[in-house]
Amino acid sequence: MTSKPVKPLLEIQNLDVTLKNRDSYFKALDDLSFNVLPGEILGLVGESGAGKSMTGSAILGLIEPPLFISKGKIIFKGKRIEENAISVRGSMISMIFQDPLVSLNPLRKIGDQLVETIRTHINIDKAEAITYAKNLLEEVGIDRERFNAYPHTFSGGMRQRVVIALALAPNPSLIIADEPTSALDVSVQALILALLKRLCKERGTSIILITHDMGVIAETTDRVAVLYSGRLSEIGKTSEVLNSPKHPYTQGLIAATPRIDADSLKTKLYQIPGTMPDLSEIPDGCPFHQRCSKSIPKCSENNPPLLYDRASCWLLEKESV
Amino acid sequence: MSFLTTSHLSRYFDLSEPWLVRKIKGQPKKLLKAVDEVNIGVERGQTYALVGESGSGKSTIAMMVAGLLKPSSGTVLFNGDNFFNPSLGKIKRMSMRKSVQMIFQSPYASLNPRWKVGDILKEPIKAFSLIEDETNQINRVCELLEQVGLSPRDMLKYPHEFSGGQRQRICIARALASKPEIIICDEPTSALDVSVQAQVLNLLKDLQQAFSLTYLFISHDLAVVSTMANKIGVLKQGILVEEATPSKLFLRPEHDYTKMLLSAAPDISNASRI
Repeated sequence: MTSKPVKPLLEIQNLDVTLKNRDSYFKALDDLSFNVLPGEILGLVGESGAGKSMTGSAILGLIEPPLFISKGKIIFKGKRIEENAISVRGSMISMIFQDPLVSLNPLRKIGDQLVETIRTHINIDKAEAITYAKNLLEEVGIDRERFNAYPHTFSGGMRQRVVIALALAPNPSLIIADEPTSALDVSVQALILALLKRLCKERGTSIILITHDMGVIAETTDRVAVLYSGRLSEIGKTSEVLNSPKHPYTQGLIAATPRIDADSLKTKLYQIPGTMPDLSEIPDGCPFHQRCSKSIPKCSENNPPLLYDRASCWLLEKESV
Repeated sequence: MSFLTTSHLSRYFDLSEPWLVRKIKGQPKKLLKAVDEVNIGVERGQTYALVGESGSGKSTIAMMVAGLLKPSSGTVLFNGDNFFNPSLGKIKRMSMRKSVQMIFQSPYASLNPRWKVGDILKEPIKAFSLIEDETNQINRVCELLEQVGLSPRDMLKYPHEFSGGQRQRICIARALASKPEIIICDEPTSALDVSVQAQVLNLLKDLQQAFSLTYLFISHDLAVVSTMANKIGVLKQGILVEEATPSKLFLRPEHDYTKMLLSAAPDISNASRI
């Protein structure tokens, strides 16, 4: 085997997204850096407002005023795309949204929507596109005969399958899935995640899976990045992060997640005190230090960088010394 | 007898075509059995959880238990009293309403955005004429806010000034206002983040101990249910397929549907599976 490291598909380097409100500026994403390797599933996890979806939007160039990218690079296949994401949007990076009912046009047959997407990105004639679309439908587990059906005749899980077919249609190298199963039942969720995982492994497509559900992260992703207040608090292999979290926030988040366990009735869930600060109220130093049970004086003075490519926490520095 | 009992509780919805269309096409009536012959018993001071997927009839049962929806057949009994007993007097019905309260899924939709929190909490106190005196009403509101971990000053704010978790606390305070015996929690934490969910679930547990409350807890999340319930009922398309204590349900599920739900539920302990 070669010792050469795999070249990442997508690199995000020191990305800042800033919100301008009158004369004040707030950082929605603060110095965010991570890579996505070819064929891997990277999970982005965090609470509402942590910047998960913002990261997805930034990659696709969907950041609009009053938000703007104030610093940093987004490099996709060796090219910087933060200025002209339209060149890759849809064709090389596609997106799956949370609510499948909103992402499909209710007035058009799913077949027409598929054919339109295919012909926008791939140069083939209509008859070929129809065959291609029908094959895609079959691949995501929908009967070819449903080609001419309208979205409202499908159930939520089936609609999400159609949306996956739409996302896969142009053969993208990266799919950003923003809470793809949050609106679905558990049994359907398991099927959809398995489908997404299988199709992407077959095609070598990478996925950025945005979710707030640690269970989904545990069962689906290869690596996971934990976001807090627009900053990366921890990143690493999913099994390592979940089994031995380094950042106190990740530790708290994992301890607060209820587990299916016959004995958990007797104990109380761990609770992180307080809530995530508002963008305008992010404290100096580490954004988590006010809620952190292990904070040291340094935490309130300086914002820790990502240490050992793992966690942004000053405690890690001590650990090694 | 249990504190809350439902016997042969059923609710059917008529989805048939109009009469004339049915006659022409020769179709029979079409009934949706949303809840079909459900028998559950909830003991005082305990938590009974109903789990199942969307459309399994969880919320329909909650509505019938709360007296908001009339059962097609069967009865709901609280301490031996039935909401829909026509001979039940007005005063008796009022006191039953007082002892049954609900917490809903979305704390965004269940608070009136134009009312101050103080007014929202005063509403049940006034509606059931619990306290007549204005100053005492305000004192009670302060007490309620403190019980759910909010500050009495929050009484003057509007719901939009609070986060999702804080709003759910307001909903809980409102449910507590009439000093109920049973609270029906319909997916109380589905709209909340994990860390906030832990806070709300712990609060519900504390309040249960403090006021010896009975909960009918409705959720689709087996992990949440496992931290709350003394007894779990699994619903599938309106039918109660399995009923057991958590230790039995999670370790030795009997029905295939329960097994399927357990295996499909994403669980954080499964990180090693990859």
